[in-house]
Amino acid sequence: MAAAVVSTNGVATPSDWQDRYHHIDQILDRPGPRTDPSFLAGDEVKDFLRNSCKILVIGAGGLGCEILANLALSGFKDIHVIDMDTIDISNLNRQFLFRPADVGKAKAIVAAEFVMNRVPGVKVTPYYGKIQDKDDDYYVQFNLVICGLDSVEARRWINATLVNLVDPENPESLKPLIDGGTEGFKGQARVILPTVSSCYECSLDMLNKPTAFPICTIANTPRLPEHCIEWASVLEWPRVHADKKLDTDDPEHISWLYTIAAARAKEFKIEGVTWSLTQGVVKNVIPAIASTNAIIAASCCNEAFKIATSSAAYLNNYFMLIGTEGVYSYTFEHEKRDHCPVCGNESLEISINREWTVERLIEMLVEKQDIQIKKPSLSTPDKPIYFQSPPQLEEATRPNLEKKVADLVADGGEITVTATTLPFNLSLRITYT
Amino acid sequence: MTGSSHEFQDIEEATTALQSQPDNKTRRYDRQLRLWAASGQSALESSRILVISASATSSSVLKNLVLPGIGHFTILDHASVSHSDAGNNFFLEGFKSIGKSRAEEAVRLLSELNDGVEGKADTRTLESILDTQPEWFATFTLVITHNLEQTILEKLSSLLWSDDTYPPLAVIRSAGFLAEFFIQFHEHNIIESHSETSPSLRIDKPFPALLEHALSLDLSSMDPTEHGHIPYVTILVRALEDWKKKHDGNPPKSYAEKKEFKQGILALKVKYDEENFDEAEAQAYRCWSETKVPSEISALFSDPRLASLGPTSPPFFHLLAALRDFTLLPPYALPLSPTLPDMKSDTNNYIHLQRLYKTQAEEEKRVFKSLLTVPIEDSLVDSLVKNAHALQIMQGKKWGTFDSEKSALVNSLSVSPKETSTHLALSALFTLLSRQPDIPPTEEALRTEIQSVIGQGVELPEQLDDALGEIVRAPTAELPNVAAFLGGMVAQEVIKIITKQYVPANGYCVIDLIETWTGVIGN
Repeated sequence: MAAAVVSTNGVATPSDWQDRYHHIDQILDRPGPRTDPSFLAGDEVKDFLRNSCKILVIGAGGLGCEILANLALSGFKDIHVIDMDTIDISNLNRQFLFRPADVGKAKAIVAAEFVMNRVPGVKVTPYYGKIQDKDDDYYVQFNLVICGLDSVEARRWINATLVNLVDPENPESLKPLIDGGTEGFKGQARVILPTVSSCYECSLDMLNKPTAFPICTIANTPRLPEHCIEWASVLEWPRVHADKKLDTDDPEHISWLYTIAAARAKEFKIEGVTWSLTQGVVKNVIPAIASTNAIIAASCCNEAFKIATSSAAYLNNYFMLIGTEGVYSYTFEHEKRDHCPVCGNESLEISINREWTVERLIEMLVEKQDIQIKKPSLSTPDKPIYFQSPPQLEEATRPNLEKKVADLVADGGEITVTATTLPFNLSLRITYT
Repeated sequence: MTGSSHEFQDIEEATTALQSQPDNKTRRYDRQLRLWAASGQSALESSRILVISASATSSSVLKNLVLPGIGHFTILDHASVSHSDAGNNFFLEGFKSIGKSRAEEAVRLLSELNDGVEGKADTRTLESILDTQPEWFATFTLVITHNLEQTILEKLSSLLWSDDTYPPLAVIRSAGFLAEFFIQFHEHNIIESHSETSPSLRIDKPFPALLEHALSLDLSSMDPTEHGHIPYVTILVRALEDWKKKHDGNPPKSYAEKKEFKQGILALKVKYDEENFDEAEAQAYRCWSETKVPSEISALFSDPRLASLGPTSPPFFHLLAALRDFTLLPPYALPLSPTLPDMKSDTNNYIHLQRLYKTQAEEEKRVFKSLLTVPIEDSLVDSLVKNAHALQIMQGKKWGTFDSEKSALVNSLSVSPKETSTHLALSALFTLLSRQPDIPPTEEALRTEIQSVIGQGVELPEQLDDALGEIVRAPTAELPNVAAFLGGMVAQEVIKIITKQYVPANGYCVIDLIETWTGVIGN
């Protein structure tokens, strides 16, 4: 090979050839007008970035593939990645580290290998599994965490975990969390400094409300093709297949639903049931393209680079992009929510009618956009009110559903809410009107 | 059958033709087909993209075009891979690529992303092609450049602007955390703009079958379940007609009348929980928002090309002329959209109303087609009728025009100081680099150049300091994250131009990745 190679401790290594970081070093060798005075230009910052900084990437999908490639080129050399998914053919229009022959393999493992092969000297450590498999000791080892996830539940979990990790006595315990998300031509990237700036939970009410169709419409008065598809998946599948679980990744299962939905649509003279719509409704498919993922992932990695090196000011704290009509973006500071159940340290104040039953309170909690829980269990500091599981406890507490909340909790009293989808205990302070 | 392949004419056909499982190609592209459908995909697959230089940024743009499946790309680059190229471009194989042809290496690695895309490396120089074979550029759908030297860029942009048979040109510039891009195009016509505004339901001007249906209902003696399922459209048409009879044929006008009208709707409830009447009250504004041709659409009718229409005119203008003629007939509105939004109702009431709209829309489409003077394929006619309320003709500009319009620059500086400052700083950088490629520009030199562009007396905003400081810090730095960001941004715009769907940006899109903002100026 003709190229010149820089030798470190006398051994030629192809991994850090001369001028490899010519572009990035222009930034790292001197400050700019918007660089914090604490910036240690030159060898010190390069050494931290390339030899000690440890970064975690959550998700090796549409955003994750882009994030891993960008981080590797930016000079991060100790990268870890977690993903519980395997590669599907529909990933290949954007998840550019995967090839048709990789379909069925673990995303985290294939992505890690690809990046290590392409960018010499970078170590990518994959974990094929769930983020919930790991504990605080695992997360505390990283300097930064970047999320490229498509699930609200996983984001809430990692957000709550990193907030809980913060020890005010130990600045190292604060792990900046950079979160990205996309849908079609739209996307957002944000920087969360747990306990310091607005966290994921603080902004939960910005999410679109998921579309839910009333069961009576689905069962009796369908109008839309979606109603017919829901009928097939929610009512007909369990009726016909009993205990066999619906696998929305199995094309045979989708085909079955499609046939059933199409027959129902015919009966009701409803147009528009297609294979693609059936899959879209039952899997809650979100349109996704390479270009939007590239923008959002680049933005996340750029923030990680700036935070890790202090080479320039970073995003404060939310970037939103809408690319459907021209290029429209909006950068703003999302404010912390005073009563954020994760980073706010205060109980959520809830004022309810004195006549309300426990069941009515549960209904209200399920509908609340800023809480987003499915099956909440409630208790006071000294006794259970209603528990969804285990079955014995559910049965024992079921009579309380009919009782008035006011008979169980004093005015100004506290209720603790737990749910499997809630990665923390939510504390409510109840007052009556 | 009439109508397009995906619009079924009779209910039997619409509900019995079962599709089989999608093939591998459809599965691969599923997530994007949901955005631009088969028509957009087919436009992408017929496109040929020329990219000048295989920089990290250019390779990122191409990656985001090869993945969704363009037809062909050519990388024009005579350079060989340098040490620094190998460090910042994911589509080079690091150390192993050093010294090899940059175009060939990038084409090889980009081609691995999608078997359906043809890639070609061309190692000639741009100068030689401009001099000897300018017509070659006309074989491409779109041309992309990144950090191209100023003099040759001017030559290229002038050539591509000289005749509208030449393709659009995307010009990308970046230095450190700052960047901008501009797409030079003559004109861009959009039918499927995917607008979020919905077409009129014509509640204020109901077509005969709708009016007849609304008047036929016997609200007072109707079965209560049935009463709770009348769609709001029917309720409103009926209530408005009843109101007009009592008010000399006029709809509610004053605030008090509108309030009275809404209360009248709620008073029609026979049970307090009839959500369809609540919905009707919430949608009551439709009774007094007049259905007419939107001003943006009627403005298109004055396009001079409609006056000189001939058999060789583009289909878009034939469609536009027919649309204009359609709106000159009663009810002086755009053709009815066949799509009815969802509303509180039951199956029979909703489907009945949907059929009324579909039948009327078909009839109006027939009238529309009779106004066409040349044959045009049905799918295009369908698309036009569906999107008539959101058509767009975008006029583009030549790259660089903005920098020669002093008053526009000065105005832009006061309206968008940080965006314009960043644009001026990047322009000045490339002007200076073009004059003296090997001398890193100083803040003073850049400032002097900017002042000469916008005029000596013009005061420069303080935001310019932020931009100039960054330019001087890293005048030739192509940061991987900035390259990736631009790669996504430019590919999005290119896709919108190729598919003629959604609305591309018009002007300079300026990007600052320190504070992380984007802004469009010079449009």
